[in-house]
Amino acid sequence: MVKYTIKRLLQTLVTVLIVATIVFLLMRMLPTDYFFTEEQLMKLTPEQKQEQLQAAGLTDPIGEQLVRFYGQVLRLDFGESRRIQSGVDVVKVIGSKFTVSMRLGCTALVISLIVGVFIGIIQTINKDKILDHIGTGYTIFVNAVPSLVSYSLVLVFGSTVLGLPSLYSTRNPGPSSILPVVCLSLASIAHYALWTRRYMVDELNKDYIKLARVKGMSFKNIMTKHVFKNAFVPLVQYIPTSFLYTIGGSLLVERFFSVPGMGPLLNDAIIRYDVNVVQTLAIIYASLGTIGVFIGDVLMMLIDPRIKLAGKGETR
Amino acid sequence: MQKNKDDLFRFVEYSAEAAERTGYSDYSYWKSVFQNFLKKKSAVVMSCIFFGLVIFSFIALAIGKYDYAELLADSALAFETPNGEFWFGTDNLGRDYWCQVWYAAQTSIKLALIVALGECFVGVTIGCLWGYVRQLDRFFTEVYNIINNIPTIIYMTLIALLIGQSFTVMAISLICFGWLPMARNVRNLVLMYRDREYNLASRCLGTPVWRVLVKNILPYLVSIIILRLALSIPSTIALESTLSYLGLGLGIDTPSLGVLLRNARNYFLDYPYLLIFPAVIVSLITVTFYLVGNAFSDAADPRNHV
Repeated sequence: MVKYTIKRLLQTLVTVLIVATIVFLLMRMLPTDYFFTEEQLMKLTPEQKQEQLQAAGLTDPIGEQLVRFYGQVLRLDFGESRRIQSGVDVVKVIGSKFTVSMRLGCTALVISLIVGVFIGIIQTINKDKILDHIGTGYTIFVNAVPSLVSYSLVLVFGSTVLGLPSLYSTRNPGPSSILPVVCLSLASIAHYALWTRRYMVDELNKDYIKLARVKGMSFKNIMTKHVFKNAFVPLVQYIPTSFLYTIGGSLLVERFFSVPGMGPLLNDAIIRYDVNVVQTLAIIYASLGTIGVFIGDVLMMLIDPRIKLAGKGETR
Repeated sequence: MQKNKDDLFRFVEYSAEAAERTGYSDYSYWKSVFQNFLKKKSAVVMSCIFFGLVIFSFIALAIGKYDYAELLADSALAFETPNGEFWFGTDNLGRDYWCQVWYAAQTSIKLALIVALGECFVGVTIGCLWGYVRQLDRFFTEVYNIINNIPTIIYMTLIALLIGQSFTVMAISLICFGWLPMARNVRNLVLMYRDREYNLASRCLGTPVWRVLVKNILPYLVSIIILRLALSIPSTIALESTLSYLGLGLGIDTPSLGVLLRNARNYFLDYPYLLIFPAVIVSLITVTFYLVGNAFSDAADPRNHV
């Protein structure tokens, strides 16, 4: 187990390093014009531009820049932001944003877990009846319709019918985060409902459930003691990843409701050539993704002792 | 003795027709697929609606009173609610919304179909190689991990900045990053089937690799491939609308759903029709594809055939 954990963590490290390198190289492919603001582009002479680029170390050979970058990453020094909030440590810039994203995301995650699993259970109990069909209709709708459209519908409904604020404001975070949270939960409720239903129905068809019925166990007991417990195991795998992804925020939701979170940061940073921010974000996202899958695997193993991971490298 | 036997048995004339009859089976794969598919009334109705919609989008553009290419901004006509002249009303610049919506629907469908087919082709090819050729497994796994771990938004932003925004660029870049799930799915299935006994036998008999792949393995994958293909259409439409909304997708002069909704974002609280028309049409398209895809992939699974 320990050996396996170390191996997986090393793999994660290698992946993150490769990702960081690729993002670093990709950013160097951008024309240096993006380094300057439009005003600077017009006013500065080519010599001045060259000077500034040199001062920022962008004219050095790529290899040299890359070595310097690795040095910084190893010292966990991610540099300063240039244009997003100029002169502020990247860690601070990201820190102030990620709390906002994480608060919204975690609320949405808790809501969608509770509501989604609940809907899934209701659907299983009323299988092939009207409630089940309504639930399935909801999952199909959310999965098929572009999220931009469903967010717009939520926005129109929420703000015209319920009178909720249509934009996020830091002065009034309570009510103004209701619509973003609803939008964030829409898809994951459907996701959890779908999988809860599928796993529970699979479980219900197994022979040991028939046995439990025959020996006279009540339906309620069968559901709580056997079906739900077993159906929840595969669901657990997704929770860490979804939790970690809340840190990253949702680009679309945050842009749509003007939430000052992590989501739109990456896009903004690339457009404004804020290299340090982009690289740090890429490292964060890559680590979140890989670590999330890993924690999910470990968690599943802890809950269900029959599952063994150490046999093969890849499990899924 | 000898004579008797000759009386009892005699040779029949060779008849091509009779020979055919013994070896004849009524089973044809695609015929069964369609038979199974047609049994599902809801899916049939939905696909009729979809084709109707596509055909109508052409008719709609033809019978509309305004042509997309000749739209003029006229602020005096801004925010006309739907009426006899402007069937879907006008947008914030006073341009006819009817032709914009139908044009956008066509763009979305066209893009989604191209991307889905491209993804399917690239994904299946790479997935087969990845699953079948052992030496390539590590390489493709690494490629998959790396592409999958870098946020798509980095690629899309860089592409928009470096290459520019157009329909072709968009289609190609969506294919470049969209083949991953298909390839992974195909790879896992190929891994499952490649070492079955009948494939071992084929290999021992010297069947070329491509024939093993195409004749022995691919038929098992058809239903999964069709499902992915059908599901990738709604998700491509969604991705395109997201990207266009963020300003990374199609250019502002190519109306697509995302561009329409981005333009309407500030106004549709007061003028909900700016949202409703594109939303309803696009939802119809995506829901239809979702349902039809599911039904068709069930029908395409040879294990469900009688």
